[in-house]
Amino acid sequence: MTTKCILIVCSVIALIAIYWPARHARHYDYIDLADVYDELLFVHVKTNKPNLKYCDYEDVIVNNSDVDVEEVVEQRRFYRPKNGGEYIPRTCNPLLKVAVIVPYRNRSQQLDVFLNYMHNFLQKQLIVYRIFVVNQTDNLPFNRAKMLNYGAKVAMDMDFPCLILHDVDLLPLNSGNIYSCSKKPRHMSSSLDTFRFNLPYLTLFGGAVAISSEHFQGINGMSNQFYGWGGEDDDFYRRLEIHSLLPYRFTPIISKYTMLFHKKEKASPSRYAMLEKSVALHRMDGLSSLPANYSVKSEKLYTLVMAS
Amino acid sequence: MRVSRGQGFPDRNRSRLMATIQDRLRIPWRGGAKQVAFDAILPVIILPTMFLLAAISLWWTVFSFTAVAVILVSVFKFFIRTIPRTKFFIVWTVTSIIILYIIFEFLVIPLLEILVEENIFLTILFAGFLLCFYLMKIRNNTLGKIGESEAESGYVGSYNRCSICQVVVPEKDHHCVWFDCCVGRHNQCLFVLALFFAIASLLYSSNLTLTSVCHPFIVYKSILLPDDCSDVYQQFELGLSFVAAIYSLGLAAFLLMLFLHQILLVSLGLTSKEWRNLSFCAKCFLGLCSKRPHSLGFVKNWSRIMCSNKTYSNIAYSH
Repeated sequence: MTTKCILIVCSVIALIAIYWPARHARHYDYIDLADVYDELLFVHVKTNKPNLKYCDYEDVIVNNSDVDVEEVVEQRRFYRPKNGGEYIPRTCNPLLKVAVIVPYRNRSQQLDVFLNYMHNFLQKQLIVYRIFVVNQTDNLPFNRAKMLNYGAKVAMDMDFPCLILHDVDLLPLNSGNIYSCSKKPRHMSSSLDTFRFNLPYLTLFGGAVAISSEHFQGINGMSNQFYGWGGEDDDFYRRLEIHSLLPYRFTPIISKYTMLFHKKEKASPSRYAMLEKSVALHRMDGLSSLPANYSVKSEKLYTLVMAS
Repeated sequence: MRVSRGQGFPDRNRSRLMATIQDRLRIPWRGGAKQVAFDAILPVIILPTMFLLAAISLWWTVFSFTAVAVILVSVFKFFIRTIPRTKFFIVWTVTSIIILYIIFEFLVIPLLEILVEENIFLTILFAGFLLCFYLMKIRNNTLGKIGESEAESGYVGSYNRCSICQVVVPEKDHHCVWFDCCVGRHNQCLFVLALFFAIASLLYSSNLTLTSVCHPFIVYKSILLPDDCSDVYQQFELGLSFVAAIYSLGLAAFLLMLFLHQILLVSLGLTSKEWRNLSFCAKCFLGLCSKRPHSLGFVKNWSRIMCSNKTYSNIAYSH
C-alpha cells in the first residue's frame, strides 16, 4: 500500500516536472493589431515641404502583408537614401523618425542582404530613418552591447528620438511591423522562425528591440562588460525592470522575423556571473562609462561607426 | 566444412549453440548470479550505441543506421527459427520507445521552442498507443486461461494454436514479434488502433523535433516543415535529437506499411497467412479475385473486429 502511494506521488511529481510550462516556449501578452497605432510615439519632423498631408501609419499597420522567406535575399528596388543612409519620405509629412543601429563585425555578406532588404522595407513604412552600422575594430570577442551603446550615442547626438537595436541577421517578414518607438520599450522579434515562431522565454529582449532615446538614456544604456555571445540582453531586461520600464510586444501577426544563416551558437560560459555584477553596477557601467574612441563615417547606404 | 559448402548448420545445432550461450550468460545479482537471456539484452546495447554513434556526423548516421538495419535483417530469421520465444523484438520496441521519449522530453523540449500544448497533445497520442498496446497484451494473456476445448465449444469459428504464445487464438491473423503478442479477432481492432497512434505520435514528434533543431518554414499559413538541417551536427545534443527524429520517421514508415496492410487484410477478410499463400499475380489484384473463405463482405469484416469485444468477453466470462 505505502509503496503504491509513494509510486503515485513520485509519478505525479515527475509528470508536473516534465510538463512544467517554463520548460516550453511561452504564450505571451501582446498589443492587438487594432491597438498598435495608439501605442506609437509620434514626433514633429521638420521638412522642406510643410504643406503635404501627414503620413497614414494606421494604413501601414492594418493593411499589412507577409513576405515570402524565399524572396528576402533577392535584389530589391529602393530610393537612393542620402549619404549616410538617411531617407525622408517624399509623398507625405512623416511623424516618425528612427535610428536603426546594427552591431557588426566581419559579416559583409549578411550586411549586404540586410541593407538591400531593409531600405526597401523601411521606405514602404513612410518613416524617416537612418541606418547606423557599428563595426567593432579590436580583436577582443564581439561585444554587442557596447557597439549598440556607441551607435545609440552617435544617433542621439544626431537628434534621433527613437532607437531600433537590430541584429544584422534578422529580417522582418511583415510589412505592418512598424519601425517606431512606442510608449514602452518594445521587443519586436517575438515570432522568430528559428524558434518555430514561438517565444522561448518571457524575459527575452534581444534580436530587434525599439526603445526611445529618453528611456535608453534613463537606464544608462546597456552594459559594456559582455564580451562574447549572450547575457547582454538579459542584463538589458534587468535594467528596464529596475526602472519599471517593462517592455511589451505587439501582436505576433506583425512580429514575424527570419534569421539569415541560422547558426545556433554556444553561450558564453561567464554570462551568469557577469549578469549579477553588472546589474548591481548599472549606474556606473553603460553610456556614462563609454570611452570616446570611435569615429563616424558616411557611406552610401549607411553611417559607419568604427569603435573598439 | 559445411560453411565452405554454403549449406549452413542444421537448426538443431544452432538451437544448441544458443542454449549454451544463454546458459553461460549470467550477471551478478542479489542472492546469486541471475541468468539473463542474451538475446533480450542485445537491443539495450545496440540501440544506444547506434544513437550515440549516429549523432557524430552525417556519415556516422548513414553508417550506423545501415549497420543496424543489416543486423536486424540477418538476426530476424535466425532468432525466430532458433529461439522462437525470444524477447529480442519486444525489448527492441520498448528500448526504442524509452530512448525516443527521453530524447524528446530532455533534449528537444529544453530548446524552449515547443509550446506546452504541443507537448501535451503528443503525450495524448503516445498514451493512446500505450493503452491500446497494454489492452492488446492483456487480452492475449487472458486467452491462455481459457481452456482449448471450452473455447472451441463457446464459439463457432476457426481456432489456431500459436506456437509462441502457447495459447489458442480465435481467428488468428499472425503473431507480431515486435509486440510479442498474437493478433486475432479478439484484439485486431486494438492492434490497428495501436499502430495508428504509434504512427501519429512518431510523425508528430519527429516534426516537432526537426522544426526545432533545423530551420523551419510555414506552408499553408499553419504547418511548419523543416528546410535546412545543415547545422545539426555542430552540437551533440542537436545531432542526437536529429537522429532520433530520423529514426522515428523510419519507424513510422515501417509501421505505416503494416497499418495499410492490416487495413487491406481486414477489408478483404483475409488472414496474414492466407495473404502470404497468394500468388504474386493474385496479390497484384489485391486478392479480390481469389477465394476468401472467411470473408463476410467489407462491412461485416470490419464490424466483426470492431464488435469482437462482445464475443471476446462472452468467451472470457462464461467460464
